[in-house]
Amino acid sequence: MFPISVYTQYIDMHSDIVISQSDSRPMYLQIMEQIRQRVAVGEWAPGQEIPSIRQLAVALRVSVITVKRAYLELEREGVILTQQGKGSIVAHDPGLGQRLYDRDLKQHLEKVAQLGALLGLAPEELALRLQEATDKFWAERIVKENV
Amino acid sequence: MNYSMVKRLILKDWYLQRWPILFSLLGGALALAIVAKGGQAGFTLGIILLVTVLVTIGAMLAMNLTVLERKEQTLAFVMSLPVSYREYTAAKILGVLLIFLVPWLAFMAGSIALIWFAPEIRGLIPFIVIMGTEILANTCMIAAVGLISESQGWTITVLMIGNLALNAIGYAVAHIPSIGNGMFRPHLHWSPTATGLLATEVAIICLILAGTFFFQSRKNDFL
Amino acid sequence: MNDPAVSFQGVAKRYPHFNLDNINLDLPIGSIMGFIGANGAGKSTTIRILMGLVHQDRGSVRVLGHAMPEQQVAAKQDIGFVSEDMRLYGAATLGWHIEFLRQIFPRWDQPYAETLLRRFELKSEQKIKGLSHGQRVKAALLLALARRPRLLVLDEPTTGLDPVARHEVLGELMAVLADEERTILFSSHNTLDVEQISDQITFIDRGRIIDSNDKEMFLDRWRRLRLQLPPNAALPQLPGIVDIGGSGRLPVLTTNRFDPAMVSACNDMGATVQAVDTMTLEEIFVANVHSRRTQTAYEMERQEVTV
Repeated sequence: MFPISVYTQYIDMHSDIVISQSDSRPMYLQIMEQIRQRVAVGEWAPGQEIPSIRQLAVALRVSVITVKRAYLELEREGVILTQQGKGSIVAHDPGLGQRLYDRDLKQHLEKVAQLGALLGLAPEELALRLQEATDKFWAERIVKENV
Repeated sequence: MNYSMVKRLILKDWYLQRWPILFSLLGGALALAIVAKGGQAGFTLGIILLVTVLVTIGAMLAMNLTVLERKEQTLAFVMSLPVSYREYTAAKILGVLLIFLVPWLAFMAGSIALIWFAPEIRGLIPFIVIMGTEILANTCMIAAVGLISESQGWTITVLMIGNLALNAIGYAVAHIPSIGNGMFRPHLHWSPTATGLLATEVAIICLILAGTFFFQSRKNDFL
Repeated sequence: MNDPAVSFQGVAKRYPHFNLDNINLDLPIGSIMGFIGANGAGKSTTIRILMGLVHQDRGSVRVLGHAMPEQQVAAKQDIGFVSEDMRLYGAATLGWHIEFLRQIFPRWDQPYAETLLRRFELKSEQKIKGLSHGQRVKAALLLALARRPRLLVLDEPTTGLDPVARHEVLGELMAVLADEERTILFSSHNTLDVEQISDQITFIDRGRIIDSNDKEMFLDRWRRLRLQLPPNAALPQLPGIVDIGGSGRLPVLTTNRFDPAMVSACNDMGATVQAVDTMTLEEIFVANVHSRRTQTAYEMERQEVTV
C-alpha cells in the first residue's frame, strides 16, 4: 500500500500507523496516540527501535516538523527515548501500558463531563448514560465470544 | 559560455525540426528536377518552387526556434536547465543559422551544379549566389526579431516585409549591368560589384547576430 | 549552522499593474515550505525570481549559496523546477526527454527514473502530446526528481491531479526529504496538501508576504472561540482578535494568539466558552487575508475622511 521500498526493514512497523484526515485533532496528537497505543498493547516492545523522525514522516506523508513535535511530547511523557545520533527507541519501563491507558481514560472522562455540561445533563443522568454504554459494550462482547 | 550546453540545445532543435527539413530537401530536389527537365516553363516553375521552398523553410525555422518556444511554453523548461540567457540566445540564433545552412547549402550546391552542367546559362551563378545569401540574411533577420521582440505579430510583419524586400532586391540586382547583362549567357563573370554585394550581405548577417546578442543582454526578465 | 537553501532579503519587483514588495524569506536546508496565495498574489513571480528567470528590482536573493540571478547557471545544476505553465516538447517522447536530461545532469539517476516510470504509470515511448494533463504533470515531476536535485521548486505541483495521482506525488515529494540535505519549496492552492507535508508555511497576498512561520505554530495559535455572553455584557478583551462573528449573545472570536489561559480568562470575564475550535490552514489563510484587506480598506476610508 505504501510505496516505500527504501526502508523495508521498518515496513512492518510503521505502515500500520494510519492517519485520518477527517479526524479534526491536530496531526501530532493522532501520531502520539497511535504510538502510545502500540506501546500499550505491547506491539512495540520496551527498548525496541522505532522509525526515526524523518523515516516516519516519509512513510506517513506528514511534515517532519509534525513528527518531531509528536516525538518530543512522547519523550516528555516518558514513552520514548531519543538518543542523539542513534534514533529513537521505546522507553524501558514496565507498567507503561497500564499508565497510558489510565491516562487515556482520564482524558476521555474529562471530555464526557464537558459534553454532559454542554448538553445540560445532570450528573445522575450522565452516570446513567455511562452505565448504558458499559452494559452495551459487555453485551456485544459476550455475543462475539459465543459465535 | 558553456559550448557543450549550446551544442546540446542546437541538436535538440535539429531533432525537433528534422521532418520539416527533410521535406524541404525533398521539395528542393523536386524543384531542381523540374528545372532540369528543361524548357522555359520548366525553368521558371522550378525556380519559383525552389525559392519558395527555401524561403519557407527559412521562415519556419526562424519562427519555430524563437517565438514558438515561448508560445508553446517550453521556454520555462529550457530555462530551468543550467543555462544562462546568453547561452540560450546563442543556441537560438546560431541554431537557426546552422540548421538552415543544411537545406541552404544543399539548394545552392544543387542549383549551381545544375547550371554548371547546362552551360548556356552559367552567367546566372553570381545572381544565384547573391540572392541565396540574401535569403540567408532574411532568415537571420526573422530569427533575430523573433528572439528580441518575443512577439508573433512583429515577427510575421518582418517576415512579410522581408519577402517583399527579397523581390525588390532581386529586381534591383538583376538590373545591375555587371550582373544582369550576362545572366543568360554561358560565360561566368564574377564582377567586383558582385563581390561588394556579397561582402555587404555577409556583413549584414554579422551585424544581425551581434545585434541579437546586444539586445538580448539588455533584458531583465526572461519569462 | 549552514546557510539556508533559499534566502530573500528585501526583494521587490515592479510591474505595470502589480507590485511585489518587501519579500523576506528563509528556507532552511532539509525542510519543506509551502507557499499559499490567491491567484495573482505573487507566488509565481517570487518563484521566478528565485530561479533567476526574473530579475528583481531591489533586494538580494541567494539560492544554494549562489547569488541570483547572476549565478543562476551554477544554482540550476542542483535545482529541479516544475511550474504549472511549463510544457514539455509535444512532438517528442518522454524517453527522449529523459535522455536529453540524462546528458545534462551528471547526478542523473536512471534506475530511479525507471522506478518513477513504473510508479507513475508512464511509458517512455509515449509522445508528450498524447498524455493527459495529469500524466504530463507526473512526467515533468519525474524529469525534475530523477536529476536528484538539492532543491525542488514546484509551482502548483498537484493542481489538476486526480486524488490517487496526488497521493503518489505527495509520497514522492516526501521521499525526497528522506535525505536531510534536500529542500523543497512549493506553491499551491491546495491547502490540504500544504497543511499535511509542509514544515514551514508562507502566506502571500497582493504582492506581500503576510505571514511566515512553522506550520505547527500556525495551527497552535489560531483558534475560533465560541462564547455565550450574558445579556448586555461586553465582549471580553482578548489579544490577537482578527475577526468577530456570530451574534450579539453568541459571538465567535477568531484569534491568532491563542493561549489555553484565555479560556479561564473568558470565564472570569463572564463569558462562557462553549467551544474552542481549531482551524484548518485554509480557514487560517482566509481569515488572515480577510482581516488584512479589511484593515487596509478601513485605513483607506479613514484617510479619505480626514482629507
